[in-house]
Amino acid sequence: MDEKFKKIAMENSDSIVHLWLDEIGSMKDYNYTSSISEELFESTNREFVNVIFASIKNQGNSKTVEDFSEKLINLGWPLSYITDGLQVFRRVTIDYILSQSDQVDSTYISNVLQSVDNWTEPIIRQLVNEYTGSWEHIVSLQRVALQELSAPLIPVMERITIMPLIGTIDTERAKLIMENLLEGAIKHNSEVVLIDITGVPVVDTMVAHHIIQAAEAVRLIGSTCILVGIRPEIAQTIVNLGIDLGKFPTKSSLKKGFRKALEITDRKVVDLDKKYGEIEEMIDSLGEG
Amino acid sequence: MRIPILKLHNYLLISIQTEIDDNTAIQFQEDLLDKIHKSGSSGVVIDLTSVEVIDSFIAKVLGDVVTMSDLMGAKVVLTGIQPAVAMTLIDLGIHLNNVPTALDLEQGLIKLHQELGE
Repeated sequence: MDEKFKKIAMENSDSIVHLWLDEIGSMKDYNYTSSISEELFESTNREFVNVIFASIKNQGNSKTVEDFSEKLINLGWPLSYITDGLQVFRRVTIDYILSQSDQVDSTYISNVLQSVDNWTEPIIRQLVNEYTGSWEHIVSLQRVALQELSAPLIPVMERITIMPLIGTIDTERAKLIMENLLEGAIKHNSEVVLIDITGVPVVDTMVAHHIIQAAEAVRLIGSTCILVGIRPEIAQTIVNLGIDLGKFPTKSSLKKGFRKALEITDRKVVDLDKKYGEIEEMIDSLGEG
Repeated sequence: MRIPILKLHNYLLISIQTEIDDNTAIQFQEDLLDKIHKSGSSGVVIDLTSVEVIDSFIAKVLGDVVTMSDLMGAKVVLTGIQPAVAMTLIDLGIHLNNVPTALDLEQGLIKLHQELGE
């Protein structure tokens, strides 16, 4: 039976392709593909239908499908284009084969359905697999990138290091933060480590707990931890939640924290005061003249 | 196995370079207090740079030693605690709150100096 249907489909591939293209073309208006140019859409459709027929013909030879899916992924075609296309192909082919047969009963219909399903299923499976594979790959790359960005350490001065934190902190990230903080403090020989939480949107009990732990670990290795960038709303939540941050110094801005860090390391910022001196000299010389 | 305690002017320097087991720790506690008594030192630096593991018992002994020495009039500073050690201690809930710490031996001596106001 299957061979017979295949023969019908192959011999009338032109008309099936025609029907398919019509239907796919009518879908273009109201969905994802509306931003794609007419020519590209048509050429991709032709290629797609060729791939489907090639796959039906050599049953299992997936090289063409693989190349095609790679191309679609690279061009950024949505997955729904492929699933829609194959659905439509199945519908059109079943209709066509049924219309070509003179005597139709329920077994016949079920046979047709089964064969056509058997043709399209491997293609769907493979294409969906390729797509999800590419997505997973992207997600894993982004995770690595995010991890690299999640706990940076800047040795701004001798004995002073800053860790700016941006974005939400979860347990995994907190662990990374602590490791980076401690190793960095030892590596750069920093007496003071500033943790800047200006970019942390929410400080709840868990985040506060992680920060306190990090600060205490920093104290254990022998440096001081200053928490800076505490915004008014964060100060309010911290107090409302009853979190005790009294054990280590906190400051509202990095600027103030840095000044405190300089104080701890027995240093301070001194204005060179050159300009004012020059201006005073000028005024003096004017007065003399 | 005993941990050597070195005297430098009126400070005592201890560098722990082996895995410490419970007996060594207790022995060390006795030795140190004895030495403080004999030498009348006013400051102690315990360097833990080469210590890779500290369990809760050793941590407790270290905390106790600090308090005991304090009672005998000698300030103690712990130096060179490794990141991994610090993390395990925090995970175990041991914060050593009353113990002064410093990054390395040098900083530790400076800290002692400041604390003793000399």
